Amino acid sequence: MNPLLAGVALAIIAGAVVAVSARLARMVVLGVALVLVAAPLAADPLTTPLALAARFIGAILAAYLLGMAIRERPEAGLLAVPTEGSRIGWPTEVLVAAAAALVGFAAHGLGAPAAGPMLASAAGFAVAAVSLIPILTGRDVFRVGVGLLLLLASGTLVRAGLDGTPGELEQLLTSALIVVVAGAVASLALSARLDGPGGFAFAAEARSRTRRPSDARPLDPR
Amino acid sequence: MSLLPFLLITTIGATLALLLRRHVRLAGGLGLTALALAIVAAAAIRPDEVVAVGGDGVVTTAYLRVFLLLGSIVGFGLALVGAAAGSRRDATAVSLAILATSAMALAVPDPRLAVLAATTGGAFGVLLTLVPSGGRTGATVGILVLRATVIAGTMAIAATAWIGRDLSELAAQPVVFGLAYLAFALAVALRFGAIPFHGWAARLTDAVPEADLPLVTGWAPAAFAVVALAWIDASIAPLLVDLDAVRAIVIAIAIASIVLALVAAWIQDDLEHIVGYSIVGDAGVVLLALAALSPEAWAPARTWIIVFVVARSAFAAWAAATRATFYTGRVGDLRGWAVRAPLLAGTFVLVIVASIGLPGLAGFEARAQIVDVTLDGPLQVLVLIATLAPLAYYARLLLVGLARPDPEAQGPAPWRPILTPLDVTSIRDWGGRTWAANRAFAASIAALGLALVAAAVMAGAFGTSEAAAGLPPALERAGEPIQPGQPEEPLPSDDVLPPEPSSEAP
Repeated sequence: MNPLLAGVALAIIAGAVVAVSARLARMVVLGVALVLVAAPLAADPLTTPLALAARFIGAILAAYLLGMAIRERPEAGLLAVPTEGSRIGWPTEVLVAAAAALVGFAAHGLGAPAAGPMLASAAGFAVAAVSLIPILTGRDVFRVGVGLLLLLASGTLVRAGLDGTPGELEQLLTSALIVVVAGAVASLALSARLDGPGGFAFAAEARSRTRRPSDARPLDPR
Repeated sequence: MSLLPFLLITTIGATLALLLRRHVRLAGGLGLTALALAIVAAAAIRPDEVVAVGGDGVVTTAYLRVFLLLGSIVGFGLALVGAAAGSRRDATAVSLAILATSAMALAVPDPRLAVLAATTGGAFGVLLTLVPSGGRTGATVGILVLRATVIAGTMAIAATAWIGRDLSELAAQPVVFGLAYLAFALAVALRFGAIPFHGWAARLTDAVPEADLPLVTGWAPAAFAVVALAWIDASIAPLLVDLDAVRAIVIAIAIASIVLALVAAWIQDDLEHIVGYSIVGDAGVVLLALAALSPEAWAPARTWIIVFVVARSAFAAWAAATRATFYTGRVGDLRGWAVRAPLLAGTFVLVIVASIGLPGLAGFEARAQIVDVTLDGPLQVLVLIATLAPLAYYARLLLVGLARPDPEAQGPAPWRPILTPLDVTSIRDWGGRTWAANRAFAASIAALGLALVAAAVMAGAFGTSEAAAGLPPALERAGEPIQPGQPEEPLPSDDVLPPEPSSEAP
C-alpha cells in the first residue's frame, strides 16, 4: 500500500467528517476545501500537472465561493451564523466513515479488477456515507449544500478507484461542475441568510404545497 | 470547428449576464442578444467534425445541431415571453448556460464526460429560484432542486465508471449490470421529476414563473436523458443479460409518471401546475424508451425527447401569456379566456397539436413506436391511450375558455396591439408606455411563435427524425464507444449470452 495515498485518503475522510460535524461555518468550509483539494490526489498514477492545476483551482474557487456565503459583514447586518451541525455527533460520524471506508476497501472493483487504487474507493465510500446524513436529514441550506459537494467528491473518488485516473478533459469538466455546484450552494445560502433571522435554516412554507394568489406576479424581472 | 462559436457565445453570454445581474435590463438585453446569436451559431454547426482533446474529444452530429438550434430558438422565445409576462433576472443566463453544457454533453463521445456536462447544466437551473425578497423560500426550493440534480449526477458518474472500464475479468454475477443500468435510469427519472421523485419539481413549480419552468424540468434533463440513452444503447442493451427485474422497475416508474401526472394535471387548479405535471407525464415516455433496451427505440426516443421539450416549452409560454393577459393563472378564474383572447385560443390549439400530434406526424409515430417496442399485450394499448389522454386536461381548459365569462372578473389586458399617442418630447417614456400597454400582446405573439415551432417539430420539421436516427458522437480511435445497435464483445461469463448481430442499427 502506498503510504502517501493512505495519507491522502485519511485527509479526505477527516475533511469530510469535519465538514459534516462542525457547527462553525468556517470549519465546515475548511473541511470541504480539504476534501476537494485532496480528491484528485487519490489516483494512481497521478493525473497530469495541467489537469491537477485545473482541479486545484476549481477546489479553491469552490471554497472561496462558500466562504463568501458565510462571511461576517457587521456593517451589512450579517453576523456569524452557525450551521446546523451534526445531530449524531462527530464520534458517530467517524465510525460511519470508518465502516464505509472498510466496505469500500473490501468491495474494491465491485466484482471486476479495478483500474484505480483501493484507497480511492475506500475514501469515496466514506465520504459518500457521511454526506448522505446532511443530504437526507438536513434542514439547513448550507449544510445540505455541503453534503451535496461531498457527495459529488465521493462520486469522483469512486470513479477514480474503479476506472483509473481520469483524462484531462474529464478533470476540467469535473472542476467546472464542482465550481458551479459550489456557486449555486453559496448563492442559495446567502439568499437564505439575507432573509431575516434564522441563518441558513429552511423556510417552513417551502416544504409543503403553497397556493399562489390569483393575481399575476410582478412583471418586472426579480 | 463549427461548434466553437456556439460554445463561446453561450458561455461568454451566460457569464456576462450573471456578472451584470444587478443591472437587470442590461443583463437581460445582453442575454437576449446572445440567445439570438446562438441561434445563428447553432444553425452553422456542421456535423461530423472531430476535435481531439488529449485522449478525449468533441464531435459534432446532426442531432447535436438540431437540439441546439431548437434549444436556442425556444430559449429566445421563452426569454421574450418572460420579458413580457414576468421572469427571473437570471433566466437568460440560465438558458445560455444550459445550452452550453448541453452542447458539451451531446458532443463528447465518452459518457463519463457527458454526464458531468449534463449535470453542470442542471446545477445552473437552481439560480432561477433566487429572488431578492423571500429569499429563504426560494433558497429552500433551490436546494431541493440541486439535491435532485447532484444525486442524479453522482449515480450516473458511478454507473458510467462501473461499466466504462475493462470488464473482461468480471467475477460478479452479470446481473450487477442491472444495478448500473437502474442507477442511470433512476437518475434520469430523478432529473425529470418523474413520479415518485416529483417532490422537488412540484415545489419548483410553486416558485418559478411558467416561462422559466421548462428550462429546469425540460431542457436540462433532456440532454441528460440523451446521454443516458446513448450509454444504455452502447453499454447495456448489447449485453443481452436478463434485466427483466430492473426493467420492470423502470417501466413501473414510467407508467406511474404517465398516468399519475395525467391525473395530477387534471385535478390542478392553476396553470403552472398543469404545465409542470404535463412535463412529468411526457418524461414518462422517455423513461419507457430507456426501458426498451432495443436499437428500435433509439431513433424514436431521441425524436420524442426533442418533440416533447419543445411542445412543453410552448405550453409553458402559452400559460405565461395567459397569466399576463388575464392577471391570473387560476383555472376557475379564466372562464371565457378563449373567447376574449383569440390569439391565445389559436396558440392553444397549436400546443395541442404539438404535444398530442396526429397519426403520421413524426412525434406521434415516435411516441407510439416507443410504447410498441417497450410493452406488450393489453398494457401496450392502455399506455398508448394514456399517452393520448392529456387531451382530457386540454379539453377541460378549452371548456373553461369557451364558458361564459364571469361578469365580476377583472377584464383582460387587450389582446390586440395598442399604439399609445406618440410623445416626441420624450421618446423613451413613450416607448416605456407602449411596451407596458402591449406586454400581454407581446407575450401572446411570442407564445404563438413557439407553438408554431413546436407544431412544426411534431410534424417532423428541422430534420429531427433523420438527425435522431444518426449515430451518437464517436472518435475514430481504438476502444471508442460502441454504436447503438452494434453488439459489444461478449462477456466471458456463463451467465451472459453472446449478443446477436442486429440488422436494425440506426
